[in-house]
Amino acid sequence: MKFLIHFAWKNLSRYRKRTVITSLALAFGIGLYIFTDSMLVGIAEESERNLIWYETSSARIMDKEYWQEKDNLPLKYAIDNKEQVLDTLKAAGIKAAPRTVFAGEVIVYKDPYPEDGSIYSKIFAIDPLKDSDVFRFKDAIVKGRYLKPGENGVLIGSWLAEDIGADVGFPLSITTRTRDGYMQVIDTTIVGIINCPNPYINRASLFIPLDTADSYLDMRGGVTEIDMKYSNFRKAASISSEVLEKLGPLAERVEIKTWEELAADFIALAEMKSKSSGIFLLLIFVIAIVGVSNTMLMAVFERERELGMMRAMGMEDKQVRRAFLLEAAGIGIIGSLAGILFGILLDFLIIHWGIDYTSILRKADMGYRVSGVLYGTWNPSAMIKAFFIGIFLAVASAWIPVKRGLKMEITDTLRNV
Amino acid sequence: MIQAVDVKKSYQTGETEVKALQGVSFSIEKGEFMSIAGPSGSGKTTLLNLIGCLDKADSGKILIDSETIHDQSKKELALLRREKIGFIFQSFNLIPVLTAFENVSFALSLLNVPEKEIEERTLILLEEVGLKGMEYRLPNQLSGGQQQRVAVARALIKNPLIVLADEPTANLDSKTGEDILKLMKAMNTKHNTTFVFSTHDQMVMDYADRLIHLHDGQIQSDELNPAAKG
Ligand SMILES: Nc1ncnc2c1ncn2[C@@H]1O[C@H](COP(=O)(O)OP(=O)(O)OP(=O)(O)O)[C@@H](O)[C@H]1O
Ligand SMILES: [Mg+2]
Repeated sequence: MKFLIHFAWKNLSRYRKRTVITSLALAFGIGLYIFTDSMLVGIAEESERNLIWYETSSARIMDKEYWQEKDNLPLKYAIDNKEQVLDTLKAAGIKAAPRTVFAGEVIVYKDPYPEDGSIYSKIFAIDPLKDSDVFRFKDAIVKGRYLKPGENGVLIGSWLAEDIGADVGFPLSITTRTRDGYMQVIDTTIVGIINCPNPYINRASLFIPLDTADSYLDMRGGVTEIDMKYSNFRKAASISSEVLEKLGPLAERVEIKTWEELAADFIALAEMKSKSSGIFLLLIFVIAIVGVSNTMLMAVFERERELGMMRAMGMEDKQVRRAFLLEAAGIGIIGSLAGILFGILLDFLIIHWGIDYTSILRKADMGYRVSGVLYGTWNPSAMIKAFFIGIFLAVASAWIPVKRGLKMEITDTLRNV
Repeated sequence: MIQAVDVKKSYQTGETEVKALQGVSFSIEKGEFMSIAGPSGSGKTTLLNLIGCLDKADSGKILIDSETIHDQSKKELALLRREKIGFIFQSFNLIPVLTAFENVSFALSLLNVPEKEIEERTLILLEEVGLKGMEYRLPNQLSGGQQQRVAVARALIKNPLIVLADEPTANLDSKTGEDILKLMKAMNTKHNTTFVFSTHDQMVMDYADRLIHLHDGQIQSDELNPAAKG
């Protein structure tokens, strides 16, 4: 065995060109795999984060009837004892923010807007003093300022602002219905523009102060939801049941939906995506296999005579096989290590600088909750996996030609032509 | 020591059957220096391959050390070759990535000989075949004649029962070829190793103590050569 390892090493260093080319082909595939994985995992993690930071929070308390009609954004199923709920949550050490979400038609007129128009929009009435405990919009203001309590100000998503030609200081009217179903017009002024990494917010959302909305919508202190931030969103389900317990009698009228339930469509989509990205990764490996097996095939065929001579001298077939496969494993190790280095370099680039996807994501809704610059993430388990896959690939692609060589009669491989 | 009894071997290529050996019988005694001569296609290589356990006869028997080798497994045959048979090939067939020393010691390392002994024996033998000072050269840093000397050493290192050489000088010029023959003869005398080599070159035949002429797969003559050179 020691001799075989020595022999394999000699062959690798002697046929340096072949070793380098084959390892490079492998390294390229491995590196690309690590990079792609880093990016996909990065997108998935960031999507999840942006979903929670800007859309769902860790979990949401709402009236028991609300969920069934959630698509209509009904105001009639409101939480009317929000102060008591908030106090209980505060005592339990859970950060929470009340919100009322409603649908409305945004109406704008030519001058200062480029033209007259109206557009359906989802409006979030938020508590300017509490919302930032749970969500992150305060840091997403790209122009103007954040909301103040009681004002008739509105924050507008940056893509929506661009679409209708809005800017800070422009007037904006929202037509909607009150809790009791009466028509109402809320006249506001744009105080700030939001550009957050969640495209769903940028595309069609407006934010107004909760107390302003309360009086316009006749909410009488009710809110449609209370959003919570848990210390560990991965344990949302178990924390939620603890919260329900703490709420005691208050829990009779409400229920809690975790972020995973709130964004079930997103979760399903993410699962589908991870499957399709698996296919994508497989493709990368097919490329690597083709590159490696080609040179491996040549390398073994070239040495059929040597293989025959070794057998003539009395090496058993399994020893000959081991000798050649060890050599292939050597290429696998070199290629994998080089591939990991290459992958780390690519990872470094995508983790520190990222790739700017804004224009693509803006035009096409891909379900990802990311916009702007995408960053990768370090994933050591993918690197370890890639290392072993690389060795396996190299050995597997040498297996077939070696098997063929061993099938041939010794006398045929030795014949002088 | 080695016996061939009515050995027949034919090859099938497409529709036609080539009778490479059509009933060959002879025996080889220890220490013989014997040549198998004959024109191209007469069956020399085929015969050497059968004696060397690289191939099996269609009928007849080959006995090595009075053991018939007909019903051995591939693995048993490999073991037999490893221990008892040395090969010298027309095109040297050294392993290109190994030095002269390693090419020779390789044959011994297959036999579980202690490392120290391998090294000693290899160095001594390389000196005997005239390669002192070139032990650590790679095959491509050696001339054809020198490479064939390495091959001779590789065949001899395990003290085999028999060394088989299929046209060992065909890839060498006549002067170098003659040197190789002289070397083989010297080794035959010194170690009493049995040599069987094929050729169609008269110069090479002149060195043989015994000469078997093959023709169309049959033995035409089998005679001693008292006037052998070397
Ligand atoms: N593997 C094979 N398949 C088909 N025919 C073969 C095979 N090996 C040898 N033959 C045929 O068998 C006959 C004997 O061949 P062999 O190689 O033993 O002759 P040889 O005396 O060694 O010839 P040469 O001097 O050219 O080496 C030839 O007719 C050859 O064509
Ligand atoms: Mg021949």
